[in-house]
Amino acid sequence: MEILSFSQQVLALAWWLALGVSVLIYIALDGADLGAGIFSLFVRDHDERGAIMTAMAGTWDANETWLIVAGGILFGTFPFVYGSAFSYLMVPLAFVLWGIIARAISLEFRHLASPFWQRFSDGVFGLGSLTVTFFGGVCVGAVLQGYPQTDVEGRVPTYVGGAFTFLSPFSVWVGVASVVAVTLAGVLFVRARFEKGEPIRIDAARWTMTIFYLAIAAVGITTVWSALIFPWAADKWFGAHFWVWGLLFVVSVFAIARMRRATLDDRDLAAILWFNSAAVIMGFGMLATMFPYLVPGTWTIFDAASPQVSIVTFTMTMGGFVPVMILYNAYQIWVFRARVTKLAAHAH
Amino acid sequence: MSATDLSTLISRIDFAWITTFHILYPPLTIGLAMLLFFAEWRWVRSNDEGWYRLCRFFERLFIVNFGAGVATGVTMEMAFGILYGPFSQAAGPFFGQILGYETITAFMYEAGFIGLMIFGWGRIGRRMHLFATANVAISSTLSAMWILDANSWMQSPAGVELKNGVFQVVDWSKAIFNPHFMSAFPHMLIACVELSLAFVAAVAAWFVFKRRHVALFQRPLKLSILALIVVAVLQLWVGDELGQVTAETQPAALAAMEGHYDTYNADGSANTSWSVVSWPNEAGDGNAWSVQIPHVLSLLETHSWSEPVPGLNDFPADEQPPVAPTFYSFRIMVAVGGVLLLLGLWGGWLAVRGKLSIDRIADNRWFLKAVMAAGVLPYLAVWTGWWTREIARQPWVVYGLMRTEDGVSHMSPTLAIFWFVGFAVFETAVFFGTLHFMAKICRKGPDLDTPIAAFDPHDNDGATPAMHPDAQQPA
Repeated sequence: MEILSFSQQVLALAWWLALGVSVLIYIALDGADLGAGIFSLFVRDHDERGAIMTAMAGTWDANETWLIVAGGILFGTFPFVYGSAFSYLMVPLAFVLWGIIARAISLEFRHLASPFWQRFSDGVFGLGSLTVTFFGGVCVGAVLQGYPQTDVEGRVPTYVGGAFTFLSPFSVWVGVASVVAVTLAGVLFVRARFEKGEPIRIDAARWTMTIFYLAIAAVGITTVWSALIFPWAADKWFGAHFWVWGLLFVVSVFAIARMRRATLDDRDLAAILWFNSAAVIMGFGMLATMFPYLVPGTWTIFDAASPQVSIVTFTMTMGGFVPVMILYNAYQIWVFRARVTKLAAHAH
Repeated sequence: MSATDLSTLISRIDFAWITTFHILYPPLTIGLAMLLFFAEWRWVRSNDEGWYRLCRFFERLFIVNFGAGVATGVTMEMAFGILYGPFSQAAGPFFGQILGYETITAFMYEAGFIGLMIFGWGRIGRRMHLFATANVAISSTLSAMWILDANSWMQSPAGVELKNGVFQVVDWSKAIFNPHFMSAFPHMLIACVELSLAFVAAVAAWFVFKRRHVALFQRPLKLSILALIVVAVLQLWVGDELGQVTAETQPAALAAMEGHYDTYNADGSANTSWSVVSWPNEAGDGNAWSVQIPHVLSLLETHSWSEPVPGLNDFPADEQPPVAPTFYSFRIMVAVGGVLLLLGLWGGWLAVRGKLSIDRIADNRWFLKAVMAAGVLPYLAVWTGWWTREIARQPWVVYGLMRTEDGVSHMSPTLAIFWFVGFAVFETAVFFGTLHFMAKICRKGPDLDTPIAAFDPHDNDGATPAMHPDAQQPA
């Protein structure tokens, strides 16, 4: 491996943060779409399902763009992780990709299809959302566990293990926990996007608290489990700087409590924002816990960075394109902010 | 064949499948965005409602195609790491950066303006909308530029040094402006325009043939056929340039494309014969049979009467690409280019004689049938062109520097088949879905009744739910 210069190390760190930000924005934005898709599996009314899709028609592809950006940063700046982690995750990623294809197609083509095919595509949409969420979570769990690599002098370490090394009780659990957490995001999305009197919104409101407590349990179990099996996590959380992590814990509990309050008061936007704050705080907490590793026990940020990281591309991306994209995302959400009714699915 | 060879072969087929089923969509996105811009620009300038109706109609086909392109494209970005892990690691510093630029400068940019283009009718001013359409065309072109740059570097890897198993970039400008890029990008870009012209012409010809909205569709039909003459000639010229570059940088690839085995004849003179058709023999060191024309090979590759062109037998057996698929793919692609030019000339001849006017155009039954049939030809050319390019580079993944079997991820044949079956199912579904819905849009025809979406700056709080243009039409 090349040793990076000091400025390159700083850049690698900056790219690592950018990667984390993209992934977290993706989870915050598309999490709601995925969760609404999972929720649609439990919606019996045909037009209500259509309205859920209408509610995200103008924004879903821009939301998914953040996943593509994360992939681009990974390949461009951390190619050694990109090339090894993705072959380690071959099987769950295949399911994620099939889910994404299925979702994209049912969203884009539903309005053109006949009622029979609409019913079919609704099912595909819901199952696709579930698949993406579950296997996405499995990927996260599997990455936290790290993976074995080759160790040949003069060659980049790469993954040569089996296709099912990713599979463990923990990774499957993280998949389940993601489904629960994302469903909560989806329910909040449905509440925020539909007119207040709509039956679907009332259904969503009725389920919110149940899913809320399930999500708390899911996050709690994941955290405790991580502390038990990952020495790198336990060492930090219960080490010399335990108060920092304690503080993070208190702040996330605060955000979660505020989210609960906002939900009970029927303040939909506030609930979503508090939910996302909690998710972002915990996400950054996890990234900080993993530091200096990008993949725990496998790749540090500095080993994983391309020896060619340069200030030019970083400035171009962070100074130019990312701010524009955030502005655009915000503008788009603003343009399409109106609440919908189930009649929206009837408009053609 | 060992298990490793088998899984290498299957994972190559996997990658071939996902790229083959992705490249169906982006060329139309790129070319049609330019044509939509043209139509919308004519509308904004001339206030001619016909252009507006055409624009809205073809935009609906554009949306279906774009959706399919995104659905199959997300896979591509992940597939390098999944199927070609070691290649991605080694080539990451250049290849990954370039794909990263594509994401950042093209994909993000395009995602931004496409929403405005599709959902912005009546919500933003005419000029702003035209600006959005222009940006969709520019961003998708940029996207093609980066992708072709990355691929061209695999064909002619310049500006890098292999150190510790990683391609380190020593000269960025050499790597970016590598020899293949300068011809391959224009070749692909013109292919996108050519494909889109043929597509628009075929759709328009169908309406004219059915005598539906003849006055409306005469315009795009006539214009695209006439434009095809210029574009097809340009493509032959640029294609020839790319052939020259291939001859210089990848002599083995060129020899395979031409089924050319021996540099010199038995009597010591240069072998300048060009095979029109041929088939390789069992031993793989010559043709079992062939129909040849002397001197044409030298004319084509060296632009001289009898300069020698290196034959396949000059290269070690384990550095020779397969001959039959490259040879025939290449010929199909070239033939399509020729047929499209002839079609354009036929249309030009009819136009000169005044037979493409609104009242007479529907009477050219054979010409209309030919134009409709020709709609699929550029797709065939794009497929065969890419197959030629990718198969002729074998056995290298990075020409001359990294062999394909060293670049693929470690995977069992079972797993490679699992991947293949899954993508075969999903992408076939996307393909037929796209065809089905495009046909449906065509059967429904253009919407001539809904008033032109007007923009009223005083009544535009923008707070309307997003709906597809189709959904905005009255039932």
